[in-house]
Amino acid sequence: MNRKLKIAIYSGEIPSTTFIERLIEGLSAKGCEIVLFGILKKKVNYKNNAVNIKGYRLNRINKALYLLYYTLLLTLFKNKEKHQLDQLLKAEGRFSLYDRVKCYPVLWYMPDIFHIQWAKGLNEWVWVKDFGIKLVLSLRGAHINYSPVADKHLAEMYKTYFPEVDAFHAVSKAIAIEAEKYNANPEKVKVVYSGLDLRDFNNSEIEISNRSKTFNVISIGRPHWIKGYAYALDAFKLLKDQEFQFTYTIVGGLNLELKYQMVELGLDNYITVEKHIPFDEVQKLLKASDLLLLSSNEEGVANVVLEAMAFEKLVLTTNCGGMEEVVVDGENGFVVPIRNARAMANKIVEISKLSEDQKKEITSNALRTIQQEHTEELMVNGMFELYQSL
Amino acid sequence: MNKQHSDTKKIGIVLSSVPGYSETFFRNKIKGLQNNGMEVTLFVDESQTTSHNLPCELIVAPKFNSGFFLKLKNVCIAAIKCCFVNPKQSLKHYKLDKKDGIAFKQRIKNLIFNQYLLGQDLDWLHFGYGMLATNRENVAEATNTKMAVSFRGFDLYLSPLKHQNCYKILFSKNVEFHVLSEKMKQRLTTYHVSENRIHVITPAIDTSLFESPNRKVETRKTLDILCISRLHWVKGLHYLLEAMSILKKDEINFKLTIIGDGEEKERLIFAAHQYGILDDVVFTGKLTQTEVIQHLKTSNVYIQYSIQEGFGNAVLEAQAMGLPCIVSDADGLQQNVLHNKTGWVVPKRNPIALAKKIIDIHFLDPEKRDAITSAAVKRVNNDFNLNNQNRLFLEFYRN
Repeated sequence: MNRKLKIAIYSGEIPSTTFIERLIEGLSAKGCEIVLFGILKKKVNYKNNAVNIKGYRLNRINKALYLLYYTLLLTLFKNKEKHQLDQLLKAEGRFSLYDRVKCYPVLWYMPDIFHIQWAKGLNEWVWVKDFGIKLVLSLRGAHINYSPVADKHLAEMYKTYFPEVDAFHAVSKAIAIEAEKYNANPEKVKVVYSGLDLRDFNNSEIEISNRSKTFNVISIGRPHWIKGYAYALDAFKLLKDQEFQFTYTIVGGLNLELKYQMVELGLDNYITVEKHIPFDEVQKLLKASDLLLLSSNEEGVANVVLEAMAFEKLVLTTNCGGMEEVVVDGENGFVVPIRNARAMANKIVEISKLSEDQKKEITSNALRTIQQEHTEELMVNGMFELYQSL
Repeated sequence: MNKQHSDTKKIGIVLSSVPGYSETFFRNKIKGLQNNGMEVTLFVDESQTTSHNLPCELIVAPKFNSGFFLKLKNVCIAAIKCCFVNPKQSLKHYKLDKKDGIAFKQRIKNLIFNQYLLGQDLDWLHFGYGMLATNRENVAEATNTKMAVSFRGFDLYLSPLKHQNCYKILFSKNVEFHVLSEKMKQRLTTYHVSENRIHVITPAIDTSLFESPNRKVETRKTLDILCISRLHWVKGLHYLLEAMSILKKDEINFKLTIIGDGEEKERLIFAAHQYGILDDVVFTGKLTQTEVIQHLKTSNVYIQYSIQEGFGNAVLEAQAMGLPCIVSDADGLQQNVLHNKTGWVVPKRNPIALAKKIIDIHFLDPEKRDAITSAAVKRVNNDFNLNNQNRLFLEFYRN
């Protein structure tokens, strides 16, 4: 395709997650025209003016004006298409004002590709195919890994609509295999790993954590059950009972369950909890730690692990989701089985006993893994290839 | 106000909403009190419907959190009541709040929100949960009424973590406390509440509904494990599922039925999925009492592996039905089930120990198991029946 590709990247909200924002910047720099739809949470400035923000603010007046504007444009210049879309929406029982607020601008801008980030909303966007727009779906996180396991209706929806999707972007090989259960055609799935801009990871000023006997562990992530903090706390209880000297920092806050567990297990003196701190503060805390722990029950590929590896930090992850595609136990980090506090505790002790040389070897391998497989360039090129193949 | 009633006492019970079917405790209590000639009025913060089939008077608190005009109207009514209907009580309430160091704005708010209680002529004002008494600590004293507060579990163990110092004022007051277990009493004393103000009245069940069927004493091939529980983290169900995964590895055939619904359904189904036991676990959702009794009849072990539990009514029901019960050592459960006498108590957060205990009991000599369950049936019938509970509450109020 020589013509400039017009790609709509849809996550429902503008701005979106770090990965998606990096993708937007990268693709626009590669000459794609990007259109963003959805709720405008705050003002965003992209480096490249090939990014068109067509979102709406979440208040009634704004939404009403927005709808009026696109209704008028479509009625005047694309009335036939509007009529067709209205019929489709009516047939699906989705002709509310809100549905039209979402759909009309997409019909007006007619991107070549409509890329949905979250699978749960897939059924709302299959209509774009009737207008020759290619449909791309990202397979990521909860939407694929666990929600359809508990929600049979969701699983059925996936099974119905996955065959309609023109291409899938999988954040890991593991999630690609998972999606096959819901009728995703493996030939249409391309694995594109999350990538980092390595310029953001200046390792020259790496703060070596204190050299006292205390082993400092950090976890970064919201206190949701999927992050498996309950198992991490149980593991630290075992370590406390062994009189292993440690501190544990959780960045992201604790919910009531974890707070209760922490107090009940007598861990409050060992654990520091940070809730809302700026990104550079998080980086400082990470640099000052001996080990980044990812205790998750499920993940695609956790960005925080990639970032820690780019900072040449030791990482310990569970073998959930796509993590083993990044971390190889004993080579560039450490891996334990999911939901296993005892294994986690044992591994932490093992890691604390490594010599400085052994640590250095592992962290250098970790940085190499990121340089070779998880750069922003690789990510953007991967996605660009996926779009071009359509 | 004349408080020289003889035996007839007016009791006001404050709850957040009208007790539903499952909250048998409150319904039983109300009936029991009325049967003994006491007048009961129920005060609730909200009520969805008007027909509750309640045998007592129901007063719904005015709303202050809905639309602007309704809020304005209710504030005006409360302000008028404050000045012209209950001026004496209101002034006293204000002064008491001030004495407790409550900020001016909050004092006024309390005065407005609590007006519907300040006009009552009661002998006892009884808050059904600890948190219901916050910002209402001075209502009883302002109206020259005795104050009682029940703690049910969550409100004693978790609310102080969520809202630091939430009971600081409450614990400084002249209040009679009702708790469900000796463990809860112990916990309450750590807040320097005097022991003789804390009354343990355990929950009770309608023993006529939960009669022990004639169980065949045999070792079945498949273990039918039952757990009745909200799907909430305090119930420790993720540890229970972990224990089940150990049974699976040990090639023990089992079926776990969890009756109840809740916010953690997705988490638990996914845990069962990851443990590879999803086919061995049934999440029935909420069931009717008849259906619950049917499950209690057909299962052969009952487990309540909670992280936190005030007492655990369902365990009483399971014991009354002659089911061998395994519970965690969380709070009131240790009193609910006497280890090795009427069931088995396993340390909490220890799925390996739980799995071991399940296996032990599965292979336990049937006669020994029968001796334990018979003792449990006897104990529940004798100690945890409604008559006992009613008698204790009467004593509580006549004290």
